[in-house]
Amino acid sequence: MPANTSVKSAPEERLVNLVVALMATEQGLTKDTILTSVAGYREQSESGASKDALEKMFERDKESLRGLGVPIETIGDRADPDDLREARYRVPTAEYELPEDIEFTPAEIALLNLAGGVWSESSMSTEARSGLRKIRALGIAVEDPIIGYSPRISLRDPAFPALQQAIEQSRVVTFPYLKPGEAAPRLRRVRPLALVEYEARWHVFAYDLNVDADRTFLLQRIVGDVQSTRESFDPALREGAGERALAGLEALAERQLALLEVNPGSEAALRLSRRARPAAQGIRVPYVDAQIFADELASYGPEVRVVEPSDLRAEVIARLRATLEAHGGVA
Amino acid sequence: MSARPLIATDRAAIMLQLVPYLIGKGEVSVQAAADEFDVTPDQMRGMVEKLTVIGLPGERGYWQMANDLFDIDWDLLDEQGLIVITNSVGLERSPKLTAREAAALLAGLQVARRIPGVGDTDLFTGLLAKLARGAASAPAEVIVAPEPVDAVRATVAAAVREGVAVSFTYKAPDAAPTTRTVDPVKIQIASGQWYLQGWCHMREAMRTFHLDRVSDVRLTDIPVTHGEEPAPGWFQSTGDEIVARVRYPAPVAPLLGEYVDRAEVETTGGVSIATMRIADELSLRRLAARRGGALEIVEPQGARRAAAEWAEAGLAQYR
Repeated sequence: MPANTSVKSAPEERLVNLVVALMATEQGLTKDTILTSVAGYREQSESGASKDALEKMFERDKESLRGLGVPIETIGDRADPDDLREARYRVPTAEYELPEDIEFTPAEIALLNLAGGVWSESSMSTEARSGLRKIRALGIAVEDPIIGYSPRISLRDPAFPALQQAIEQSRVVTFPYLKPGEAAPRLRRVRPLALVEYEARWHVFAYDLNVDADRTFLLQRIVGDVQSTRESFDPALREGAGERALAGLEALAERQLALLEVNPGSEAALRLSRRARPAAQGIRVPYVDAQIFADELASYGPEVRVVEPSDLRAEVIARLRATLEAHGGVA
Repeated sequence: MSARPLIATDRAAIMLQLVPYLIGKGEVSVQAAADEFDVTPDQMRGMVEKLTVIGLPGERGYWQMANDLFDIDWDLLDEQGLIVITNSVGLERSPKLTAREAAALLAGLQVARRIPGVGDTDLFTGLLAKLARGAASAPAEVIVAPEPVDAVRATVAAAVREGVAVSFTYKAPDAAPTTRTVDPVKIQIASGQWYLQGWCHMREAMRTFHLDRVSDVRLTDIPVTHGEEPAPGWFQSTGDEIVARVRYPAPVAPLLGEYVDRAEVETTGGVSIATMRIADELSLRRLAARRGGALEIVEPQGARRAAAEWAEAGLAQYR
């Protein structure tokens, strides 16, 4: 075999060899032992690669594996925990593997298969499928799949992955946010706590550090990159955030009730009545965002008339007027 | 699922999952394993072959012994394309879920839970707890709000579950209402909208019905006879559409949703022109009014006029 093929083994071989080695040790391996005995490092050590380069490679590999969810534990010097020269590394089996006592019933697997299929083409689809594979590899008898339903959820907002990562890491982020009616976006600085899909739109629930209060932001109004900062926050702040966000949106909708008149039998009537409650004349429909609701109401054209509130009514009229003008009419 | 390009960490992640999968299967074809992992058969074969150089570290100064390495039945692989692990040195049980894998499944469960009759509360509660315990670190909370379920949705979901035809009044845009009886095949749910795909007894063909145009729905006692018909693809062309072009500022694109997904889009100087097939000249007027002038229908003239008339009729209510 030519020398270079044995020295330059594929990086994935080295990564997997490292996991196997770190799982097989109880007391941990020192960096020196790893670099001289684990396949992938060993060949490069023996062919004279510099120790510095190998150590850098080891650091990168550790980060890559942690990114895959492999829990690499560092056991430092007891007398001086910051001294990593004699540190030993291991992967505790109990933290790596799915717990022995977790079992999934066939009915649960069927439901998880349905749940894993909702993400269409987004990166969440790859994640869901990978998670399902791990569960299916536990070797569960397959039950009849749930057929006849194809629920899907769309995820088009480019801000989503960066926000999700920042929540996982409990990191403060900044992003430019364009509120309707404002000429330019303003930079927000927040602790992101939860992502919430409400009425087919994604929101991030966060603690806004500029106003020192909880705020809910629409992802479609984040008009630039979400930047992660070095500042982190206590992960305990994330607990129950999703429930709080949802309760906040529902309470907001209860405070904002539009009075509408709809043409019976029209698409507008069918769609709005699902959310509506009867009123003396027309229906009352709760909404969380006047701009978004005005978009929807404008789309119904003559099928719905806004009675109140007047700001919502004005927004709908403005949209209809602009639509008419854009298509050659005179408003 | 199409195979995607793989980087080294992707391949490492797959190899970590491959061992428990192969051990669980006992014997599996390269093709089946490739399908399971969304890779090509060649990629799968390459990863299986690489597995045989993975193993425990050798003692200082010695190379690894054969039984310190994973091994497979090479004859079976070469001659019959079957994978069997003959020696394993670790990794036998599935790794925990990553935070993101757990989040994707947890949110997916909340979506599934919106369908009446799918799973009960105990099943969901049990799964949520298991996924939380099976995750390597705390997932970011991804919440999907429950949606109101009306009688139409509940009845159609029941028809699918019970395998009986459902009958209802259907009101297509600017056509007279018709009464339909349909063998349900599949309920498609996207962006909060429900669509029923099924065999229409009147048209004697597969049709897709937007449930927001459905009323007076009731279950029949007619057993489904066309339940095995293939459901039409999403927005599959039926050949009788017309071609439309719309113009909008490029940053508006994410707000146009599925319309743009099936369009050909050209962008110059920040302005996009999308060319798409639509069912009829009226179907774009709602989209145009929703975007309040940010989207302009360029052609056909009939669709352009329909949008103007739609807005004009809406405005007339306020004069």
